Amino acid sequence: MQPTSQNELFDSLRLELRRGCLILAVLAQLRVEHYGYTLRKALADQGLAIEESTLYPLLRRLETQGLLTSEWREEEKRNKRFYRLSSEGAAVLELLMAEWNGINDSLHRILEEKAVKKER
Amino acid sequence: MDLLERYLQSVGEYLPARSKADTLAELRENLLAEMESREEELGRALTENETAEVLEKHGRPVLVAARYLPQQHLIGPAWFPIYWFALKKSFPFVVLIYVATQCITWFSQGEKGVDLGAVVGHFPGVILTFWAVLTLGFACFEYAEGRYFHRVDLSKGWNPNELPKLEPAQGRQPSLVNRVANAVMAAVGIVWLLALPYMLLGPRLGYLRQMPFTLTPDWHIVYWQMIFLLAVQLVLKTAMVFLHTARGWYNALEVIVQVSGLVILVIMLRVRTYLVPGTTPAAMSLKDVTGLNALIHLGFQIALVVAVVKLLWDLWKMVTGSRTSQKGFVTVL
Repeated sequence: MQPTSQNELFDSLRLELRRGCLILAVLAQLRVEHYGYTLRKALADQGLAIEESTLYPLLRRLETQGLLTSEWREEEKRNKRFYRLSSEGAAVLELLMAEWNGINDSLHRILEEKAVKKER
Repeated sequence: MDLLERYLQSVGEYLPARSKADTLAELRENLLAEMESREEELGRALTENETAEVLEKHGRPVLVAARYLPQQHLIGPAWFPIYWFALKKSFPFVVLIYVATQCITWFSQGEKGVDLGAVVGHFPGVILTFWAVLTLGFACFEYAEGRYFHRVDLSKGWNPNELPKLEPAQGRQPSLVNRVANAVMAAVGIVWLLALPYMLLGPRLGYLRQMPFTLTPDWHIVYWQMIFLLAVQLVLKTAMVFLHTARGWYNALEVIVQVSGLVILVIMLRVRTYLVPGTTPAAMSLKDVTGLNALIHLGFQIALVVAVVKLLWDLWKMVTGSRTSQKGFVTVL
């Protein structure tokens, strides 16, 4: 495979891998109230950087789906839109976390098996 | 901040009116917060270029706005394979129907002749219209599904027992495209044969008269016999398009088609004298025309032998194929 096409393929697969994780991360982070910019900072500080142009529309979409609630409020003399997890969002987050843990455990087992076979 | 306002104005051009003000207000706050954070890091106000960098990183206005819009597609991933399958499977039938309607039109017009250029020229338009109608139909279904009626779950409601039986390795039947192409070619053959006298003998009748030989009157009888047999072939080949699952019927029709082809060759062999010397001063001698007739006759004899061998070979394959199918099957990839 050519290096460029390999890189493109990796980027595409990486994007696919991250897509589902981002929603889980955003929902989990919004157990505490944030507005767009501080949420992005908080996620980036924990090692999960998200493009602004991806995060802000995602927040709108999750709100439309009823998983988040939002309100405009004044902070530091400026109106900002604060998001937080809705009760429905909290229930969905629990389910998603259980699913994530299951996938994570399975993947660990599979990857460890591969590593052991390689060592042999 | 003029650049920021210009940026927001550009994004706003692509947003729906009902959510535009709200979305832009939120976007403004987030971008201002981003810029203030950069200013804190630098310990000074951002220059025009640095502001432009922040906006450039945020994205092209049309793409940013698109992300705020509901995710839409004409035909989504769930229905696209069905759409593509329908498009591929129905294409040969469109060709068949088009050829059939052109034949009917030509027959109903009598001896006005057929404009083959116009028939071929109209075909791309027919195909495009068919594609557009099918695509629109699927797009409308996709739009209405979930809004006006429950989503159709394609993963359910099928029975593995209803899957088609395994096809035998030998005697595999031709594909749909092959079957339709056979029928279309039969129709084209008839149209061509019917159109030929008008193309050659109509406006250019004089051309044939200048030849050193001319056709015998026998051709008038043979001509209509051939047209009749070709019409029979067309009907049979059209039936074969739809009868492919009834293997016995399909094979029987194939044999009848081949036998009708043999009959055409036999009719041609019985004529013996195909050409006679012309009436022009440069007409061929009787001896030369007799030699030419003998050559044409020999050609038909060879064609008959080839056709008989082909028929026997196909019959043998059908017989051995049916025996093999009783012993076992192989999967068709």
